[in-house]
Amino acid sequence: MRAYSAASEEALHARGLLKDWAGEGFLTDAQYQRMEQETVCDLRRTNIFLRIVLFLFTLIIVAAAVGLFFVAFLAHPDVRAAGVFLLIFAAILYAGAELAVSRARLYRYGIEDALTVCSVGFLCAGMQMALFGDHALSSQSDNMEFMVPAVGVIGSFWIWRRFGLPYAFLGAMLFVLWLTGCWTSSQSAQHVMVAAFYASGLVAVAATRSRYRFTYLNREYSIAEALLWLGLYLAINLQISSVNLVGQWWGEPAAATEFSRPFYWATWVLIWCLPPVVLARGLRGKDRFVIAVGGVLAILTLVTNKPYLGWQRHTWDPMIMGALLTGAALLIRRSLARGPGAIRHGFTAQRLSGKDKAWMNAGAAALGILSPQPIMPSAQTGSPQHFGGGDSGGGGATSDF
Amino acid sequence: MTILARLEQWKEHGVISPEQHALLAGFSRGEPFSVFLELNVLLYAGVLAFVAGLGWTISTWSQQLGDILVLTILSALLAACFWYCFSRAPAWSPAETPSPSLVFDFVVYLGSLVWTVELAYLENRFHALSGEWDLYLLATAGLFFFLAYRFDNRLVLSLALSSLAGWFGLTISHWPSHQDAEYRQYAILYSLIVGVAGAVLQRRGLKPHFFGTYLNIAANVLFWAVLSGVFNREGYAIWLLVLLAGCGASLVWGIKRRQFPFVAYAAVYGYVGVSSILVREMNDEAAILSYFLVTGVAMLVMLVVIARRFGREA
Repeated sequence: MRAYSAASEEALHARGLLKDWAGEGFLTDAQYQRMEQETVCDLRRTNIFLRIVLFLFTLIIVAAAVGLFFVAFLAHPDVRAAGVFLLIFAAILYAGAELAVSRARLYRYGIEDALTVCSVGFLCAGMQMALFGDHALSSQSDNMEFMVPAVGVIGSFWIWRRFGLPYAFLGAMLFVLWLTGCWTSSQSAQHVMVAAFYASGLVAVAATRSRYRFTYLNREYSIAEALLWLGLYLAINLQISSVNLVGQWWGEPAAATEFSRPFYWATWVLIWCLPPVVLARGLRGKDRFVIAVGGVLAILTLVTNKPYLGWQRHTWDPMIMGALLTGAALLIRRSLARGPGAIRHGFTAQRLSGKDKAWMNAGAAALGILSPQPIMPSAQTGSPQHFGGGDSGGGGATSDF
Repeated sequence: MTILARLEQWKEHGVISPEQHALLAGFSRGEPFSVFLELNVLLYAGVLAFVAGLGWTISTWSQQLGDILVLTILSALLAACFWYCFSRAPAWSPAETPSPSLVFDFVVYLGSLVWTVELAYLENRFHALSGEWDLYLLATAGLFFFLAYRFDNRLVLSLALSSLAGWFGLTISHWPSHQDAEYRQYAILYSLIVGVAGAVLQRRGLKPHFFGTYLNIAANVLFWAVLSGVFNREGYAIWLLVLLAGCGASLVWGIKRRQFPFVAYAAVYGYVGVSSILVREMNDEAAILSYFLVTGVAMLVMLVVIARRFGREA
């Protein structure tokens, strides 16, 4: 099923770890050189920046080629015929991705990423047009309407399994949302169905991943599980997932009116239950992505609790939240530092990987520029238009006191 | 073969010592598991949420709280932050200095943000600078540069650079509405000053690890500014030349120094600029699509060659 051999991917996994350990001084240069030679593999990789650019240009080429085909050969195409051609293009693009991997040995190179993404996109668009013809873009319901998102789910899931691209898994989860929308118009039923899909996905992933605990596949399953927990929570939290309610966060509470009371309060109970469960599972498995999602869910629960209960928000709520987060971080650090060698229950607050430092540096540079935005001021009346007041630069002061 | 099996093999062959094996096998199993990154993210989010709430509360309740109480609270916070930083900071060094504790960098950041809130409050209530926001921004940028270099803090350095950009009239949110010649000149001047200052400071050995931040910001601002000139209907030729020269320099720099974001900048900004000029006169759909097909393939081939020769991931 996998497009790459386990030996190749395991070798890449080992190379990554060796590079990190050598960078942190856990291995000498001589040791690193020797060990690296034993982890050589034939897969071609590139760095993340070139991968993104290669992805973009592949998208441009595909879009231009398909557009040119339609302009040159099908100036005024029948919708169904256009759909059939899109299906053919989807097959060609998928074959291209397979060739890029099997012949050119590309691995996370950007080109095969873009080809697989386009193939799923064209597959769904082609099916929609081929099946529904002139009604493809209308809102008319059809018994077969669910076919398109269902194929999207299967296609994305296949891409995830075959190529190991985490965003394909996310794509499959998004298609599930579309799929449930085709089956019922009831908001409550949609929430339940989406949650049920994600919960069954969680069961499947949890059952499967234990076999791959210390292998190259662990990270892939970890991301999938984290996404599923996040999706499950978002499906349950009616203050987030009901789009029309988000705008009412700061106004009158209205969420309860759209759902039955038992359902509404059951979801409130669940949003409090899920974060500790996810955090506990992440900590038990020492799973970084699941821990991160557990933390995010806990914050989201605190943030959405007041709108859930219909309580009024206060301007100092973010301050309390900030103090809570900072306090939690300090408590955890202090607790870990008390253990022997600053390690407690197998956890430490010390930096052990060079990757953490790289992330910190990149994040600090980017977030330092962007972070003042929410607390930024609008330009003061009468200040020079080109020089004053920025609402993004300017370190964050506000002029609307 | 899993990493654990490999480590066992390397130990048996004497490539690594039993102690190294124990350590590295432990790391592979997540023993110990570092939550360093997670704690930093929590602290960052905590500081940001706190200051956002502080600013919001003050802007909403300043009348009820009164100037004295507001200023006392803000000044006390500011003094506490700076007292903590100056009392705990290690001796200054021009080289990269590790943070003395996990929270230290975030206390500097909190102090910097509280400073901006207090200064803005003073200005709005008492018009201390008589509405001279450009002076406020320049002074704030100066303070942030000092703090960034004193405490080796990238977060505050970025704040300093964005404050300086604010002084030059550069604000990200206002960008689309200010694509005029004057605005472009300031943007170019800003990017040149930032780039040159970064290079000089690096050459002098003053926190040389900050150079990447300077260069990335300078390059992006410069390319945006030049692109806005290329998008003009008239007088774009000079901007096209500047863009091509910039892309060439960025490409060479990126390849030579293995700084691949600069290769990406050269490819994307260059392609957008050149394409905008070539496509704007085309009316035929087929010609436009053919252009994107042919040039897209050419760019892809060039990037693959670069990736294979220079950009290989180890």
